[in-house]
Amino acid sequence: MARRGPRPAHERLKRLLVMLPWLMERGEVAIAEMAAHFSLTESELVADIELAAMCGLPPFVDELIDVFIDEGMVFTGVPRVFTRPLRLTAPEGFSLLASSRAAMALPGADTDGPLGRALGKLAKALGDDGVVVDLGRPAMVDRVAAAAAGGVRLSITYWTPARDEATERQVTPRMVFADGGHWYMVADDHRSDSERVFRLDRILEVGDTGIVDPMRAVAPPDPQRWMNDDPDIDRVTIRLPTELTWMVERYPIDSLTADPTSTTGASCTVVMPVTSEEWLRRLLLRMGPRAEVLTPQRWASLAADTASRVLQRYGVVSPAT
Amino acid sequence: MAEPLERLTNLLALLLETTAPVTLEQIAFEMSPQYPTNESARRGAFERDKGVLRDLGIPIEQTVLGGSEAGRTAYRIDRRRYELADLDLSDDERRALQLAVAAARSGDSLGQDGLWKLGVGSERPSLAVAATVPTFAVLPPLSAAIAVRSSVAFTYRGTPRNLDPYGLLLRDGYWYVVGRDHAHDELRTYRVDRIDNAQNPDASVIAGASAGFERPSGFDIRAVFPSDPKLLGEPASQITRAVVKVSGERAALVSAEVGDDAVLARFDDGSIHVQVPCVNRDAFRNWVLGLTHFAEVVSPPEVRDDVISWLTSFGPPVAAAN
Repeated sequence: MARRGPRPAHERLKRLLVMLPWLMERGEVAIAEMAAHFSLTESELVADIELAAMCGLPPFVDELIDVFIDEGMVFTGVPRVFTRPLRLTAPEGFSLLASSRAAMALPGADTDGPLGRALGKLAKALGDDGVVVDLGRPAMVDRVAAAAAGGVRLSITYWTPARDEATERQVTPRMVFADGGHWYMVADDHRSDSERVFRLDRILEVGDTGIVDPMRAVAPPDPQRWMNDDPDIDRVTIRLPTELTWMVERYPIDSLTADPTSTTGASCTVVMPVTSEEWLRRLLLRMGPRAEVLTPQRWASLAADTASRVLQRYGVVSPAT
Repeated sequence: MAEPLERLTNLLALLLETTAPVTLEQIAFEMSPQYPTNESARRGAFERDKGVLRDLGIPIEQTVLGGSEAGRTAYRIDRRRYELADLDLSDDERRALQLAVAAARSGDSLGQDGLWKLGVGSERPSLAVAATVPTFAVLPPLSAAIAVRSSVAFTYRGTPRNLDPYGLLLRDGYWYVVGRDHAHDELRTYRVDRIDNAQNPDASVIAGASAGFERPSGFDIRAVFPSDPKLLGEPASQITRAVVKVSGERAALVSAEVGDDAVLARFDDGSIHVQVPCVNRDAFRNWVLGLTHFAEVVSPPEVRDDVISWLTSFGPPVAAAN
């Protein structure tokens, strides 16, 4: 974990209030083990324990919090206060319940297993929160998750929208995840010999190869930033009516600013990365003619050209100038 | 002066240990010399400490005393309200929660803060499945209001709303709150991230008294909120389904999405006819335009004409205009 600056007193107290009951239940713990458990460096842990040991009130000045450190171990005596952790706050309780419900919607979850039982106990303690997590799970998700669990190499036909082409390749799925309404896999792509992210609804066909690769753990992509983090990717600037901002909000955007009020109504200007011209075509087509590409110039007519191409399919000639 | 952490810890211990509520003067005496002697400086320091403890979720009770101390405010913490009730979790249940928090990648530390209280450490298990669960500060108060059946007031894109919240649903990457809207006296759905100040719990939702409403028995949030946006909302007309011809290049993709049951015909050139909902005409148009020139609305004529007129509104292509 990356180290930060000096830890504020409230952060240290919050951690202390979970550390002390945990320590009291055990009596003695190695510093290294305790520091790892609570995401602290050993020196941070030692500083907090030594400070806690100094706390005291009459008539229990020396024994309010009876802890000490010796030979790489933390010891505790007979506890007086802080024997139980502080109750869960509403945000913590919500986070645990929502996480558990999401995990129950993942492939391989067992309603009658430990998670189902833990969720039942939590829900009983915290009340009926009315939370439902619906990840919508096509059959492909379970197929790929099963392959990831066993290191099974698959052959897939994958459609790449940026180039509008379908390619065949062998992949070894390592992890399956849902994000923003879509399912993805992190996989070893044997075609490019690299780790890649694939969107599962773009897999046109899937088959077994009979090959099993050694297992390998992968880190999940950062939930906030995994999609378009590359400054080399082209940017587009679009002016759009304010009521259409929802159409761009689900994509990563660099900036979204309200324009000065004009006679034509409220509008915004958005700057966003464009991973492919095909994607931008579809977005502009959906937004309609009131969305206008400001820069770059080469995309200014993309929407009208695309609309014209689709109209040909309907046997309609585009309106004349 | 003691370190801030030491003073906070001692204050907390004192309020937990005391059998009768204590005034600031008693606190300062017991903890002497940790609080300043100057009265206003002492009050300021104490209020700051009290704010820190309350922000951590510590329930500090205050009462106004009578008798010889009449008018003075006294403080204590009820240990039963402070302490976490024993959830009686087994080791495998704790591990399951640890996995769940790691798998539901929320991007904040609230889940881990909760896990520590339950005795679970921050060691990250390796995962083969995960799902991003977006978080908004407005969600816990909404969920709490649902649990105790209290009405909520919030501002949604500038408009004040009053709602009896029945449930929260995470679908397609968005959180929705569903409930009875007071002004319309009907079931309404609001996207949580569009609630004004959704990241500030103090400024976004005001909850009323508990037991303020009854949720209809058998309420099922999945049933009232269809998963296909093309089915959402008021129908624009009697027409609820359209037939779309999809080129061979996209046939596999589309039939996997809509399901084999919706495929009406398969042609020799690889193209297919599919039947899809168009109750929500905007959502339908977004869907069919996403397929660009690889799809064409075949029938009914009204829906086909809708799409043609949308496309015509873009004006001539630049090549033709020149």
